[in-house]
Amino acid sequence: MNNEIILKTEKLNKIYLRGEERVWALKDIDLTIKKGEFVAILGPSGSGKTTLLNLLSGFDKPTSGKIIFLDKEISLMKEKELQKIRSKYVGFIFQNFLLFPHLTVYENITLPFYFNKRKDKKEKIYEIAEKLSLISRLKHRPSQLSGGEMQKVAIARALIIEPLILFADEPTGNLDSENAFNIFKIFETLSKEGYTVVVVTHNWELISKFNVRKINLKDGKIV
Amino acid sequence: MLILIIKNILRRKIRTFLTVLGIGVAIFLLFSLLTFNQGYKNSLIKELDLLGVHMLAVPKGCPYEAASLIVHGGIIPKYLKEEDLKTIKNIPEVEIATPIFLAQLVEDDRISIIYGIDIESYKKVKKYWKVKGRFFENNENDKIVIGSDVAFQEKLTVGDEIYFRKFNKIYQVVGILEYTGGQDDGFYFLPLKEVQRIFNKESLITAIGIKVKNLEKIEEVIKKLEEIPDLQVVTMTQVLGTILNLIGQANSLIYTIIILALFISSLGVINTMLISVLERRREIGLLKVIGANNWDIVKLIFFETLILVILGALLGIILTIGGNKFIETFIKEIITHSPKKIEINFDWKIAATIFLYSLTIAILASIYPILKAINLRPMETIRSSDE
Repeated sequence: MNNEIILKTEKLNKIYLRGEERVWALKDIDLTIKKGEFVAILGPSGSGKTTLLNLLSGFDKPTSGKIIFLDKEISLMKEKELQKIRSKYVGFIFQNFLLFPHLTVYENITLPFYFNKRKDKKEKIYEIAEKLSLISRLKHRPSQLSGGEMQKVAIARALIIEPLILFADEPTGNLDSENAFNIFKIFETLSKEGYTVVVVTHNWELISKFNVRKINLKDGKIV
Repeated sequence: MLILIIKNILRRKIRTFLTVLGIGVAIFLLFSLLTFNQGYKNSLIKELDLLGVHMLAVPKGCPYEAASLIVHGGIIPKYLKEEDLKTIKNIPEVEIATPIFLAQLVEDDRISIIYGIDIESYKKVKKYWKVKGRFFENNENDKIVIGSDVAFQEKLTVGDEIYFRKFNKIYQVVGILEYTGGQDDGFYFLPLKEVQRIFNKESLITAIGIKVKNLEKIEEVIKKLEEIPDLQVVTMTQVLGTILNLIGQANSLIYTIIILALFISSLGVINTMLISVLERRREIGLLKVIGANNWDIVKLIFFETLILVILGALLGIILTIGGNKFIETFIKEIITHSPKKIEINFDWKIAATIFLYSLTIAILASIYPILKAINLRPMETIRSSDE
């Protein structure tokens, strides 16, 4: 990990309107994430974890405050610019893997290349598949894989563009404890390799086994 | 991206097949009718041209009957007199006036068209006729010339004899017409006097074929002909117009059905694509998350739709090429005034029309699913399935 700040928020607020009632989803969030950090956003349901992830990844706009990604204020950017940044620097991993069932593992991993104007870098795919022990599974379809393997494919898909930051939204929610541990082990390795990993989870027990920077949210505030 | 599009299409094989089939059948109907219409018109013009006359004088009556008489060898229960022929021959602008006596002979559930002609004048209008053997002379009342189809079906050759039971008379085949491609191939030709005699219609004529010396004088000739009582003139242009008008009426009904079929097949495409988009909401959300912009999504859905429609159009064209015979038989059954052979040829202009139609369908059918897809909020769509 070095000291290069990759993502920063200043006085970040998000208010939702529920009828005429104003609901504070996030309140005055000041956050700094450095390159290579392994960060876990923790908190009970309704604490604002998902809202924060949406804001950090540029999928939602704050009510007030700033989000700065690589010295650029993304909260002011238009969707087209955000999309470019996401496709170049950001990888996403989700709870339910979101693999395309009709594509092979290889095709699922290459999916981002269809939209990123890069050529199918075969070597890169094999390198990542090797790292995640997926080589023997490349020709298989997702239905032929275990839950842990499916999440590894999702990680490989996120890594293929060599992102600066990985956002993982409850990545172990559908996995047993052994596979969940393995997935976090991969995240830990990735952060050591220089990837910035931001994980949203409520699995305190698992988090406690890793050297992770914890950001606890409660009622929209960092506690 | 093409791999993704193709794999998406192949994902639901039965649904894809049914959608493609729906479009294919609609295109088949449209393509068949368009090519058939063109082929029908061309064949009709060719056939009328084979008649070798500019107009026909027939007894006054229904123009459709006259059209039927000319194209089919149909029967009109009215007759002209030999005096009418003389009057027509006396018109200076008339080059040839050839009398025809048409009759149907029904024996053993088989209808034979007997064509009584004055061979000398008739040969002048049918200059292209070639005969194996020879023509009969006008006074040879036991000789017959037959069309090539008759010879083939009845297995007759020159020198054979034909027995007409109804008249208890044997005729010797002296000539067989070489294939003309027109109705003549299916007729029995006898000397005019002989046909008038066996049908007890001496001095009566069914029609008079007329060829004018100068086509510019045709209106003048028609005027003079119309002065003859109980006679009407039908020009070949009128025949063509009358028959095409008849076809047009049948076509209106067919077009209505086809437009409905096309509309329903278009709805099928919209429905397929819409279901496909709704089923893949999460996937589309994910594509946006991993880098697809709205334009990529538009391309993805549009090309999927386009491929479905193009596959349907190809199927329609294959069905049309393979099903021409079926369409010809079917239409001949519902339209009585048909040329002997309808030449249905592949027409690139029609194919281009079909292609443009397919493209329009693809564009229209993809608009709503595209709007649905690009308005999806990726994270919400993805997360909605987690809960």
